[in-house]
Amino acid sequence: MKANEPGDHEEALRKVLKEWRVGAALPPRFQDGVWRRIEQAERAPAPIAPSAWAVIAHWIGTMVPRPALAASYVAILLAIGVTAGWAQAHRETRRVKNELRERYVRVLDPYQTPRR
Amino acid sequence: MKKGVLILVFGLVAGAAAYACIYFACTASARSLQRTDKPELAWLKEEFNLSDAAFQRVFDLHAAYLPQCRDMCREIDAHNVKLQALLSGATNMTPEITGALAESARLRSGCQTMMLRHFFQVSQAMPPEQGRRYLSWVKEKVFLPDYGMPNEK
Repeated sequence: MKANEPGDHEEALRKVLKEWRVGAALPPRFQDGVWRRIEQAERAPAPIAPSAWAVIAHWIGTMVPRPALAASYVAILLAIGVTAGWAQAHRETRRVKNELRERYVRVLDPYQTPRR
Repeated sequence: MKKGVLILVFGLVAGAAAYACIYFACTASARSLQRTDKPELAWLKEEFNLSDAAFQRVFDLHAAYLPQCRDMCREIDAHNVKLQALLSGATNMTPEITGALAESARLRSGCQTMMLRHFFQVSQAMPPEQGRRYLSWVKEKVFLPDYGMPNEK
Protein backbone atom coordinates (compact mmCIF):
# COMPACT_ATOMS: atom_id res chain seq x y z
CA MET A 1 0.00 0.00 0.00
CA LYS A 2 2.92 2.33 0.68
CA ALA A 3 4.17 2.13 -2.96
CA ASN A 4 1.00 3.89 -4.12
CA GLU A 5 1.68 7.12 -2.25
CA PRO A 6 2.28 10.31 -4.41
CA GLY A 7 5.87 10.81 -3.20
CA ASP A 8 6.84 7.32 -4.40
CA HIS A 9 5.22 7.94 -7.81
CA GLU A 10 7.17 11.12 -8.40
CA GLU A 11 10.38 9.46 -7.39
CA ALA A 12 9.76 6.58 -9.82
CA LEU A 13 8.88 8.99 -12.64
CA ARG A 14 12.00 11.08 -12.06
CA LYS A 15 14.10 7.93 -12.23
CA VAL A 16 12.52 6.83 -15.51
CA LEU A 17 13.00 10.26 -17.10
CA LYS A 18 16.69 10.31 -16.08
CA GLU A 19 17.23 6.97 -17.74
CA TRP A 20 15.25 7.89 -20.91
CA ARG A 21 17.37 8.50 -24.01
CA VAL A 22 16.06 9.49 -27.44
CA GLY A 23 17.68 7.27 -30.00
CA ALA A 24 16.09 8.67 -33.23
CA ALA A 25 18.02 11.36 -35.12
CA LEU A 26 16.36 14.68 -36.06
CA PRO A 27 15.35 14.98 -39.72
CA PRO A 28 17.79 16.93 -41.88
CA ARG A 29 17.57 20.76 -41.61
CA PHE A 30 15.09 20.41 -38.80
CA GLN A 31 15.98 23.72 -37.19
CA ASP A 32 15.75 25.60 -40.53
CA GLY A 33 12.34 24.11 -41.06
CA VAL A 34 11.18 25.27 -37.65
CA TRP A 35 12.38 28.83 -38.28
CA ARG A 36 10.81 28.88 -41.72
CA ARG A 37 7.44 27.90 -40.32
CA ILE A 38 7.70 30.60 -37.67
CA GLU A 39 8.48 33.23 -40.33
CA GLN A 40 5.57 32.06 -42.48
CA ALA A 41 3.22 32.30 -39.54
CA GLU A 42 4.38 35.86 -38.82
CA ARG A 43 3.95 36.88 -42.47
CA ALA A 44 0.42 35.43 -42.74
CA PRO A 45 -2.30 38.15 -42.71
CA ALA A 46 -4.30 38.67 -39.54
CA PRO A 47 -7.77 37.12 -39.62
CA ILE A 48 -10.18 39.48 -41.42
CA ALA A 49 -13.16 40.88 -39.44
CA PRO A 50 -16.47 39.67 -40.90
CA SER A 51 -18.20 42.17 -43.23
CA ALA A 52 -21.43 43.91 -42.23
CA TRP A 53 -23.32 41.87 -44.79
CA ALA A 54 -21.91 38.64 -43.34
CA VAL A 55 -23.03 39.71 -39.86
CA ILE A 56 -26.51 40.60 -41.14
CA ALA A 57 -26.77 37.37 -43.11
CA HIS A 58 -25.69 35.42 -40.07
CA TRP A 59 -28.22 37.25 -37.93
CA ILE A 60 -31.01 36.63 -40.45
CA GLY A 61 -30.08 32.99 -40.65
CA THR A 62 -29.84 32.35 -36.95
CA MET A 63 -31.88 34.92 -35.01
CA VAL A 64 -34.89 35.77 -37.19
CA PRO A 65 -36.21 32.19 -37.39
CA ARG A 66 -36.55 32.06 -33.60
CA PRO A 67 -40.31 31.84 -32.99
CA ALA A 68 -40.50 34.62 -30.40
CA LEU A 69 -38.46 37.04 -32.50
CA ALA A 70 -40.31 36.18 -35.72
CA ALA A 71 -43.71 36.64 -34.06
CA SER A 72 -42.64 39.97 -32.54
CA TYR A 73 -41.29 41.19 -35.87
CA VAL A 74 -44.50 40.33 -37.73
CA ALA A 75 -46.66 41.80 -34.94
CA ILE A 76 -44.71 45.08 -34.96
CA LEU A 77 -44.99 45.43 -38.74
CA LEU A 78 -48.73 44.66 -38.56
CA ALA A 79 -49.17 47.31 -35.88
CA ILE A 80 -47.22 49.85 -37.94
CA GLY A 81 -49.30 49.00 -41.03
CA VAL A 82 -52.61 49.34 -39.16
CA THR A 83 -51.60 52.62 -37.48
CA ALA A 84 -50.23 54.17 -40.67
CA GLY A 85 -53.30 53.05 -42.65
CA TRP A 86 -55.67 54.48 -40.08
CA ALA A 87 -53.80 57.80 -39.82
CA GLN A 88 -53.57 58.21 -43.59
CA ALA A 89 -57.25 57.30 -44.03
CA HIS A 90 -58.23 59.77 -41.32
CA ARG A 91 -56.29 62.54 -43.08
CA GLU A 92 -57.76 61.65 -46.46
CA THR A 93 -61.33 61.51 -45.13
CA ARG A 94 -60.91 64.87 -43.45
CA ARG A 95 -59.50 66.35 -46.65
CA VAL A 96 -62.40 65.05 -48.75
CA LYS A 97 -65.00 66.29 -46.27
CA ASN A 98 -63.41 69.73 -46.07
CA GLU A 99 -63.36 69.91 -49.83
CA LEU A 100 -67.06 68.96 -50.08
CA ARG A 101 -67.96 71.42 -47.33
CA GLU A 102 -66.23 74.24 -49.23
CA ARG A 103 -67.85 73.08 -52.43
CA TYR A 104 -71.32 73.24 -50.87
CA VAL A 105 -70.71 76.85 -49.85
CA ARG A 106 -69.25 77.78 -53.24
CA VAL A 107 -72.27 76.32 -55.02
CA LEU A 108 -74.66 78.43 -52.94
CA ASP A 109 -72.79 81.71 -52.66
CA PRO A 110 -72.53 83.70 -55.91
CA TYR A 111 -69.61 85.65 -54.45
CA GLN A 112 -67.66 82.43 -53.84
CA THR A 113 -68.68 80.61 -57.00
CA PRO A 114 -65.66 80.16 -59.27
CA ARG A 115 -66.07 82.16 -62.49
CA ARG A 116 -65.21 80.69 -65.87
CA MET B 1 -30.88 32.02 -43.98
CA LYS B 2 -33.70 31.22 -46.41
CA LYS B 3 -36.21 30.81 -43.60
CA GLY B 4 -35.09 34.11 -42.07
CA VAL B 5 -35.50 35.95 -45.38
CA LEU B 6 -38.95 34.43 -45.83
CA ILE B 7 -39.99 35.67 -42.40
CA LEU B 8 -38.68 39.18 -43.18
CA VAL B 9 -40.56 39.27 -46.48
CA PHE B 10 -43.71 37.87 -44.88
CA GLY B 11 -43.60 40.58 -42.20
CA LEU B 12 -43.28 43.34 -44.82
CA VAL B 13 -46.11 41.90 -46.90
CA ALA B 14 -48.32 41.53 -43.83
CA GLY B 15 -47.61 45.15 -42.79
CA ALA B 16 -48.39 46.46 -46.28
CA ALA B 17 -51.57 44.39 -46.45
CA ALA B 18 -52.70 45.69 -43.05
CA TYR B 19 -52.05 49.26 -44.21
CA ALA B 20 -54.05 48.79 -47.42
CA CYS B 21 -56.99 47.03 -45.71
CA ILE B 22 -57.34 49.68 -43.00
CA TYR B 23 -56.87 52.56 -45.44
CA PHE B 24 -59.51 51.31 -47.88
CA ALA B 25 -61.94 50.38 -45.12
CA CYS B 26 -61.63 53.75 -43.39
CA THR B 27 -61.88 55.84 -46.57
CA ALA B 28 -64.87 53.90 -47.94
CA SER B 29 -67.39 56.50 -46.77
CA ALA B 30 -65.40 59.41 -48.23
CA ARG B 31 -65.02 57.59 -51.55
CA SER B 32 -68.72 56.79 -51.68
CA LEU B 33 -69.49 60.49 -51.11
CA GLN B 34 -67.25 61.47 -54.01
CA ARG B 35 -68.84 58.93 -56.32
CA THR B 36 -72.35 60.37 -55.91
CA ASP B 37 -74.02 62.64 -58.44
CA LYS B 38 -73.95 65.66 -56.12
CA PRO B 39 -71.12 65.03 -53.64
CA GLU B 40 -71.70 68.29 -51.74
CA LEU B 41 -75.30 67.27 -51.00
CA ALA B 42 -74.21 63.75 -50.08
CA TRP B 43 -71.79 65.34 -47.64
CA LEU B 44 -74.64 67.47 -46.21
CA LYS B 45 -76.77 64.35 -45.72
CA GLU B 46 -73.98 62.57 -43.89
CA GLU B 47 -72.80 65.56 -41.88
CA PHE B 48 -76.28 66.42 -40.58
CA ASN B 49 -77.55 62.83 -40.28
CA LEU B 50 -80.51 63.50 -42.56
CA SER B 51 -83.16 60.86 -43.13
CA ASP B 52 -84.07 60.10 -46.73
CA ALA B 53 -87.25 62.19 -46.42
CA ALA B 54 -85.42 65.17 -44.94
CA PHE B 55 -82.70 64.85 -47.54
CA GLN B 56 -85.29 64.82 -50.34
CA ARG B 57 -86.74 68.09 -49.01
CA VAL B 58 -83.26 69.64 -48.85
CA PHE B 59 -82.47 68.32 -52.32
CA ASP B 60 -85.66 69.92 -53.77
CA LEU B 61 -84.88 73.25 -52.12
CA HIS B 62 -81.33 73.08 -53.45
CA ALA B 63 -82.55 72.33 -56.98
CA ALA B 64 -84.99 75.25 -56.81
CA TYR B 65 -82.31 77.61 -55.49
CA LEU B 66 -79.62 76.93 -58.09
CA PRO B 67 -81.31 78.72 -61.05
CA GLN B 68 -81.76 81.85 -58.89
CA CYS B 69 -78.12 81.60 -57.87
CA ARG B 70 -76.99 81.30 -61.48
CA ASP B 71 -79.09 84.37 -62.46
CA MET B 72 -77.50 86.28 -59.61
CA CYS B 73 -74.02 85.20 -60.72
CA ARG B 74 -74.70 86.46 -64.24
CA GLU B 75 -76.00 89.76 -62.91
CA ILE B 76 -72.95 90.21 -60.65
CA ASP B 77 -70.56 89.35 -63.48
CA ALA B 78 -72.23 91.80 -65.86
CA HIS B 79 -72.18 94.51 -63.26
CA ASN B 80 -68.51 93.84 -62.42
CA VAL B 81 -67.56 94.25 -66.09
CA LYS B 82 -69.39 97.58 -66.14
CA LEU B 83 -67.75 98.71 -62.90
CA GLN B 84 -64.27 97.74 -64.12
CA ALA B 85 -64.82 99.70 -67.33
CA LEU B 86 -65.83 102.76 -65.34
CA LEU B 87 -62.87 102.42 -62.98
CA SER B 88 -60.23 101.68 -65.62
CA GLY B 89 -59.91 105.24 -66.95
CA ALA B 90 -61.19 107.12 -63.91
CA THR B 91 -59.07 109.55 -61.93
CA ASN B 92 -61.92 111.17 -59.98
CA MET B 93 -65.23 110.14 -58.53
CA THR B 94 -68.05 110.53 -61.03
CA PRO B 95 -71.80 110.15 -60.59
CA GLU B 96 -71.59 107.01 -62.75
CA ILE B 97 -69.05 105.41 -60.41
CA THR B 98 -71.13 106.36 -57.38
CA GLY B 99 -74.17 104.83 -59.04
CA ALA B 100 -72.25 101.66 -59.95
CA LEU B 101 -70.98 101.24 -56.39
CA ALA B 102 -74.49 101.69 -55.08
CA GLU B 103 -75.63 99.06 -57.53
CA SER B 104 -72.84 96.73 -56.26
CA ALA B 105 -74.10 97.18 -52.72
CA ARG B 106 -77.67 96.53 -53.83
CA LEU B 107 -76.63 93.35 -55.64
CA ARG B 108 -74.67 92.10 -52.63
CA SER B 109 -77.57 92.81 -50.33
CA GLY B 110 -79.98 91.05 -52.69
CA CYS B 111 -77.62 88.08 -52.92
CA GLN B 112 -77.27 87.80 -49.16
CA THR B 113 -81.04 88.05 -48.71
CA MET B 114 -81.56 85.28 -51.25
CA MET B 115 -78.94 83.03 -49.61
CA LEU B 116 -80.19 83.64 -46.11
CA ARG B 117 -83.76 82.84 -47.17
CA HIS B 118 -82.48 79.57 -48.65
CA PHE B 119 -80.49 78.71 -45.54
CA PHE B 120 -83.55 79.25 -43.34
CA GLN B 121 -85.65 77.05 -45.61
CA VAL B 122 -83.00 74.29 -45.59
CA SER B 123 -82.63 74.45 -41.81
CA GLN B 124 -86.41 74.13 -41.44
CA ALA B 125 -86.37 71.06 -43.68
CA MET B 126 -84.00 69.36 -41.22
CA PRO B 127 -84.73 67.96 -37.77
CA PRO B 128 -84.68 70.93 -35.30
CA GLU B 129 -81.33 70.17 -33.67
CA GLN B 130 -79.56 69.55 -36.98
CA GLY B 131 -81.26 72.62 -38.45
CA ARG B 132 -79.82 74.80 -35.70
CA ARG B 133 -76.39 73.29 -36.21
CA TYR B 134 -76.64 73.82 -39.98
CA LEU B 135 -77.68 77.46 -39.59
CA SER B 136 -74.92 78.19 -37.13
CA TRP B 137 -72.33 76.65 -39.43
CA VAL B 138 -73.53 78.14 -42.73
CA LYS B 139 -73.99 81.65 -41.32
CA GLU B 140 -70.44 81.58 -40.01
CA LYS B 141 -69.19 80.25 -43.33
CA VAL B 142 -70.99 82.75 -45.58
CA PHE B 143 -71.52 85.82 -43.39
CA LEU B 144 -68.06 86.14 -41.91
CA PRO B 145 -66.89 89.61 -40.83
CA ASP B 146 -64.25 89.46 -43.59
CA TYR B 147 -66.87 88.55 -46.16
CA GLY B 148 -65.44 88.70 -49.63
CA MET B 149 -61.84 88.81 -48.41
CA PRO B 150 -59.40 85.93 -48.93
CA ASN B 151 -60.26 83.38 -46.29
CA GLU B 152 -57.27 81.88 -44.50
CA LYS B 153 -59.36 79.67 -42.21
